[in-house]
Amino acid sequence: MEGTEGWVDISVNGTPSKPLPERFVVAPATLWFDRFMNHFIKVGGLSIIVAVSLIFFFILLQILPLFRGARVQEYGSLPVPPGDYVLMGTDEWSELPFLLDTAGSLHFVDTVEPDGPHDRGHFVRAPAFLEEVEAAVVRYNEYQARLAYGTVDGRFAIVDVKYRPTFPDRGGREVLVNLEETPLLSIGREGVALDMIAYGDSGARKLAAAVQQVDGRYELHVVSLAQRRTLLGPGELRVDQAYDLTDYLDGEPAHVVIPSDADALLIAMQDGRVRYLHYDGRVFTERQVFQPFADLANSRIASMDFLLGDVSIVMTSVSGENRMYSIYRDPDKDMRIWGHTKTFASMDHAAAFYSAGMRNKSFLIGSGRFASLRYATTKQIRWEDELPFDIRLALLGPRYDRLLFLDAEDTLHFYDLRDPHPQAGWKTYFAKIQYEGQAEASYAWQSTGGRDDFERKLSLVPLIIGTLKGTFYAMFFALPIALMAALYTSQFLKPEIKRFVKPTMEIMASLPSVVLGFLAALWLAPIVSNAVPSVILAVVGVTVSAYTFGYVWGHLPPHIRLRLKPGYEFIVFVPVMCLAAYACWTLGPVMERTFFLVTDPSTGLQVADFRLWFPTVTGLGFEQRNAFVVGFVMGFAVIPIIFTISEDALSNVPDAFRSGSLALGASRWQTAVNIVLPTASAGIFSAIMIGLGRAVGETMIVVMATGNTPVTELNPFTGMRTLSANIAVELPEAPYLGTLYRTLFLGAFVLFLMTFIVNTVAEILRQHLREKYRAVE
Amino acid sequence: MFGVQYSVTPTTEHRTLNTEYGLMSTVLKQEKPSSLKGENTPVKPVGETYVWVTAMGLAIGLAMILFLLALILYNGIGVFWPRHVALIEFAEESDTRFHGGTRALGVVVLEQERDVRDLTPEQIASPHAVDRREKQLFMGNRDAFGQAFAFFGAGDIANITYPRHVIRAERMEWGDAIFFPLRIERGDGRTVSADDPEFEPLLRRLTDEAVARRKEINRIERFQIGRINLQMRDLELEDRFFQRIETLTEGDEQAWARVRERIEVLQAQYDPLAERAGALRERQRADTLVYEVVTGQERQMPIGELVGYYYPNQLSVIGKTRLFFAQIWHFLSGHPREANTEGGIFPAIFGTFVMTLIMSIAVMPFGVMAAIYLREYARQGPFVRSVRIAINNLAGVPSIVFGIFGLGFFVYFVGGSIDRMFYDNALPTPTFGTGGILWASLTLALMTVPVVIVATEEALAAVSRGVREGSLACGASKWQTIQHLVLPASAPGILTGLVLAMARGAGEVAPLMLVGVVALAPNLPIDGMFPFIHLERKFMHLGFHIYDLGFQSPDSEAAKPMVFATTLVLILVVVVLNLAAIMIRNHLKKKYAAGTF
Repeated sequence: MEGTEGWVDISVNGTPSKPLPERFVVAPATLWFDRFMNHFIKVGGLSIIVAVSLIFFFILLQILPLFRGARVQEYGSLPVPPGDYVLMGTDEWSELPFLLDTAGSLHFVDTVEPDGPHDRGHFVRAPAFLEEVEAAVVRYNEYQARLAYGTVDGRFAIVDVKYRPTFPDRGGREVLVNLEETPLLSIGREGVALDMIAYGDSGARKLAAAVQQVDGRYELHVVSLAQRRTLLGPGELRVDQAYDLTDYLDGEPAHVVIPSDADALLIAMQDGRVRYLHYDGRVFTERQVFQPFADLANSRIASMDFLLGDVSIVMTSVSGENRMYSIYRDPDKDMRIWGHTKTFASMDHAAAFYSAGMRNKSFLIGSGRFASLRYATTKQIRWEDELPFDIRLALLGPRYDRLLFLDAEDTLHFYDLRDPHPQAGWKTYFAKIQYEGQAEASYAWQSTGGRDDFERKLSLVPLIIGTLKGTFYAMFFALPIALMAALYTSQFLKPEIKRFVKPTMEIMASLPSVVLGFLAALWLAPIVSNAVPSVILAVVGVTVSAYTFGYVWGHLPPHIRLRLKPGYEFIVFVPVMCLAAYACWTLGPVMERTFFLVTDPSTGLQVADFRLWFPTVTGLGFEQRNAFVVGFVMGFAVIPIIFTISEDALSNVPDAFRSGSLALGASRWQTAVNIVLPTASAGIFSAIMIGLGRAVGETMIVVMATGNTPVTELNPFTGMRTLSANIAVELPEAPYLGTLYRTLFLGAFVLFLMTFIVNTVAEILRQHLREKYRAVE
Repeated sequence: MFGVQYSVTPTTEHRTLNTEYGLMSTVLKQEKPSSLKGENTPVKPVGETYVWVTAMGLAIGLAMILFLLALILYNGIGVFWPRHVALIEFAEESDTRFHGGTRALGVVVLEQERDVRDLTPEQIASPHAVDRREKQLFMGNRDAFGQAFAFFGAGDIANITYPRHVIRAERMEWGDAIFFPLRIERGDGRTVSADDPEFEPLLRRLTDEAVARRKEINRIERFQIGRINLQMRDLELEDRFFQRIETLTEGDEQAWARVRERIEVLQAQYDPLAERAGALRERQRADTLVYEVVTGQERQMPIGELVGYYYPNQLSVIGKTRLFFAQIWHFLSGHPREANTEGGIFPAIFGTFVMTLIMSIAVMPFGVMAAIYLREYARQGPFVRSVRIAINNLAGVPSIVFGIFGLGFFVYFVGGSIDRMFYDNALPTPTFGTGGILWASLTLALMTVPVVIVATEEALAAVSRGVREGSLACGASKWQTIQHLVLPASAPGILTGLVLAMARGAGEVAPLMLVGVVALAPNLPIDGMFPFIHLERKFMHLGFHIYDLGFQSPDSEAAKPMVFATTLVLILVVVVLNLAAIMIRNHLKKKYAAGTF
């Protein structure tokens, strides 16, 4: 249609000097309408094409935020009264932070509207016992907003900073605070000041540890606390048992920590060794001694603190090395021990401040002017910067939306932290990651868990492997059948029969995948799992029978053999196939009784069952809904596609080729394989590619007929989880624009790319082939 | 074409001719001269064995599809065929008992080899194969027995009889009941025993009355009360709107008063209707059927609970056939009950139909327009070629990708914006900002638009250049040519594309799961209430119905017959659409064959 643009103009502008005969005059309405349609179609058509390609960009737009780092921006600062502050804490919204001075008093700073009408300004609260005795040491647990005070006379108390949001009539939110303190309890030597204190409280079990210096020698004392529950609420807190763990100290301890489960005690010594004492409720046993920085010149641990969940400790060396140890079950020792799991980028100096996130596995660390926000799981630096002031104290807001810094000039700086997807990144999706509690790095997908501090595992690798696994088994089954059928239909079958055969096969393509999935899961899977040997035997048997029958038929005397007109073989073969399949099916149990015997451990009887035999022999799993069944059923979806397209390609090979070959005396098989097949190879390849694309994206069959467990193995007798099934299963539960939501979009994007590339290759090949034939004809 | 059966005896000339195909000449050379008996004796052609192997491919492919269709047809149709109810008595010496008794009553649905893992050593050793087999019995009476199905060892069965007076009844709750009737206790205290010849006609009459009453209750509750509820909801939203405004103007005050007034009027309309429905419900419980289940336990149910009943062991073939068609009709036209495992699938059929219709309305003009642009208006070149490849490929993009796009774009982005703009009162309850039939249809339209574009383009390309040039030469404008010649001539192709798109849309489930399909929708997307077409409503779909029944229902064994029946309906819809595509193509081809040049 090129070059027809101008024809309208001729009738309009090319008016000859003579008046136009009336029959040649075009009605203005026609012209107007034509011009209108011209533009309408152009604009409409283009915009539809743009809209369709928008899918790609929309999906891209959804996943881009996943790969963005944190954005941090200062949005305010507030001077605070000068003081000797040692630690900082805050409420959930970072509206009423407090600074703790060396005396143990808490200086609260109202940050909502400084100088506003309801500004509470700066006020001081202190636990009541400080009037009685001086505090020697304080330790703060951010997650529980809990202070552990050690006094100069060998006692300790626990103070909870209770923040409470209220919603006053004037609107907005006002955070109120009060302190709840326990009575002073004694620990260790009476009258001796505590040098260090650690406290862990799981609700049921409470453990406090203190280090004291007696005559220049360090002593470590631990007490467990008990609180009787009465009808009137919690009863009095008292010391239940006291332990003297001084024997475990061989020198000056550097750090003592207790996880919030109160089931362990970690002591770091000055030389950099860490002792891990396990507490079972009655006694302490030393399980492990490890030295995180043994490879460094100075192996002393400069800082050491827990990450959210208290199963990992983040440590820095004196020289600024930053490493993480996590506790996990060691398969060899069959107990939970600590191991080196992550190494972060080194800093220039030992950490002067550390603050763990309360929403995820992030932490804020740094010294001097340098601050770095890191994500433990991925070892990624979300943000780091040299700030324009010396940082005295730093805090990561509990909602992971604020950074608070106190500088040396007693000014509190507020930073806005925008990092909606701290866990996301290339590593999370495509690299092996050692998650907390795991003994080794792995590819794992587990998007939901029961606990608050549960960490999502978002590796796409098991899903991609699952997709490829499903595709592999589908193709394994579908490819030979489809190609053989196409070759037979195009080369040997009578055209009269072909007219019926092709639409029949095409109807197969129109079967909804939900139907196939339902049949696979509820009908086929139980049958197949009961009779795996029969199925395997039937597959082999039918193939062998075809070959054998063909061979025998060829050796029959010609007067019998020639009765069958060429092109009707498959009809003769149908009863043979049914017979062979039936024979193999009945032979299956016999084979099972012969080869697949297992001894039942409970009764000692020999049982013939492939389902039990397979796991015992191979060590792999066996599930009823497995890749084998999915592969078979997906064949229904893939076979017709490959069949139709490759049959077309084979039939379109110019007749001259075939006639020439046959005329030269080649047999029909020789012609088909040596002449037709190579000529149509590009078309067949593109058929395979398109079939592959269909298998990759198939959703319902996989959702229904597999257990949807993410796996990274290719065992045919277990299920898998594919990218597409994963989207269908998880998207309805994923919060809008959350990390999981966007990750699922990423999965869709990967799927999109996979199929798009495969299809494009197929399409280009097909066009190439078309050109080739054109040249021949 | 399939000519050569016999290869010619290898002669010297022949070999020379064949040198180009080295492989073949070697093969030919291998033919043993001893097998040649004369000049025209047939010789086995090379590779015939492999032809048989390829024949196997086709045979397997055809067997697969035909077997699958037969399986669905058999199981789907079989659901509706009334079957005899067997009274099974267990051998005294076996330890098989059913609720302590030695009898079980039900329909034998399956007989199979037992799982090896469930067999006892004695059974494995038993010389009788029957000891290793088992029968699955559908017994109904889930309220009495706790489960509707049970397996019994075939070897333990002593006797099977088919008692004539057993009744199989479909109930509103608890699935089917299979029992021996005892008597009917009328509301006025009279009792009619099952031995009484009056019993059967009375039961029939009472059941028919109960069914009619149920329809009436349904009409009142679903339509009349439903309409009031709908208006009420709107009014309450308005009420909430006024409550939110801090300072009301005079006009607002009046409007608010009017709203409250209307709420009261509606309330006044509601009360008598509710009262009437309550009275009818009361009436449903008046008569009671007392029956005995196989364990000897006497039970009773209000006849108002009955949906229908029959004597399975008394039916003639004609009676069975009539019942068979009645049950099919029931299934196609009824509403689902009991978490979809009972009743009909009408809302699912209707939902599928409406969704496909909206999808077609959306996909047709846009697809055709894009194709006309690409084929008739755009300058053919690398750009258009790459667009064409891209569109072709979009047809191969997995449907779930369209689903996730539909959720992100239509539901959350577009729907959310519409909600914020027009349905502010209802927030945070989303109106369009959640899955609904409109978004589902548009998602599927997007998914199928490449199919329509490709089909239309091919159809347009098939119209010969001569037709166009002839029309232009006669002075027709470009659009006139397209409208009057090109489009009609390519109509068969376009329609085929559309029907194929509809077939694909009707059978697709994965994207719908994300954008608005539900297992049980309270209302149809089109009904008699203003504005009649409710595009924001969630809907039911045949494909999702299958998924939900087979995989989400608490008793998947009980749901299996329903799944097969639904599957059959879905397959019929899709296959009929596909066949329609072929027929339309052929029909229009004939019609326009004469019209074109």
